[in-house]
Amino acid sequence: MAQNNSSDIGKMPFERAIEELESIVKRLEEGKVPLEESVTIYERGEALKRRCEDLLRQAEARVEKITLDAAGKPTGTAPLDGE
Amino acid sequence: MSTLLITHPACLEHLTPPGHPERPDRLRAVESALEAEKFQMLARVEAPRAPFEVIALCHPMDYIEALRDATPNEGIVQLDADTSMSPGSFEASLRAAGGAIHAVDEVLSKRAANAFVATRPPGHHAETARPMGFCFFDNAAIAARYAQNKHGIARAAIVDFDVHHGNGSQEIFWSDKTVMYCSTHQMPLFPGTGAVGESGDYNTVVNAPLRPGDGPEKFRDAIESRILPRLAEFKPELIVISAGFDAHMRDPLANINLEEEDFAWATQKIMDIADACAGGRIVSLLEGGYDLQALGNSTAAHVAALMRG
Repeated sequence: MAQNNSSDIGKMPFERAIEELESIVKRLEEGKVPLEESVTIYERGEALKRRCEDLLRQAEARVEKITLDAAGKPTGTAPLDGE
Repeated sequence: MSTLLITHPACLEHLTPPGHPERPDRLRAVESALEAEKFQMLARVEAPRAPFEVIALCHPMDYIEALRDATPNEGIVQLDADTSMSPGSFEASLRAAGGAIHAVDEVLSKRAANAFVATRPPGHHAETARPMGFCFFDNAAIAARYAQNKHGIARAAIVDFDVHHGNGSQEIFWSDKTVMYCSTHQMPLFPGTGAVGESGDYNTVVNAPLRPGDGPEKFRDAIESRILPRLAEFKPELIVISAGFDAHMRDPLANINLEEEDFAWATQKIMDIADACAGGRIVSLLEGGYDLQALGNSTAAHVAALMRG
């Protein structure tokens, strides 16, 4: 059976999570996953997708947008989306 | 005329490795559920062996013989990650296909109103020359082709509500405009086929995939808006149901949330089409369903509907 425990995903860096997610999507699309493991692997893919989305949200919250004056010159920064 | 129930004890002798979901207890659960009082009116008969030449309507003779020759004298041999053979597997496969053939004979000769075939191994993943996903011979495909060859049916339809897509049935009838294949199934999931765009060379393949987590509303909408209109337009003279019950919410191999009454509802809707264009003729074959309680209850609901109960 595929790895059923998703506890490792909670600490996974973005690059590793997206890499494994892409690999799972490819295997599912190609029909290369055995029937018995198919649902387990899909559920791991869902957990990886949630991890990637969480990390993206955290990254977005740290990004600040550059504010410009009337002449288009940078004047400073402000939080993205007011967060 | 009554509903006919076809099974055979040899189907309990197809053994799979310990912990495998497609196990003999599945059939015991189905048989136990159909022992209830309300099923006493069922006509019951044992499945004959399918002759090789009838299986060969869908699978090459050398494939059939290779499977026979792969049967072990003891233990279990793996054919792929999912699919394995024990000493009793080939005999069980012949009885499963034979049950489907016998059901066609009985229903088309008007000795039974319709029939449910409770056998295993299942069939809809078996491709022309490839065992796959617990399946060896595509029993539904054999039933449809046999109805055409033996009984002169011009158009047959297969309706497959197993939660997995019937890649085998789709492949076998991809270029055959006389057999329509319709399926609801979860995507993404094994075997990876079954997208809406897969429609066959003559637009007679109808796929209505569901998303993981979907429940009765999406399932009923897929049946009513995608499948029933195409069936009604095709006007089959016989409908074969690939009756898998693994879209039940309790099933461990998928994420669709149906309950027993949804299978009864789908059965009734298919019967309405059969009544309108096929003289009510339905042959229903057990496919998947891996939670024993859900399988027993869902099969009972399906068969009760077939009995017009």
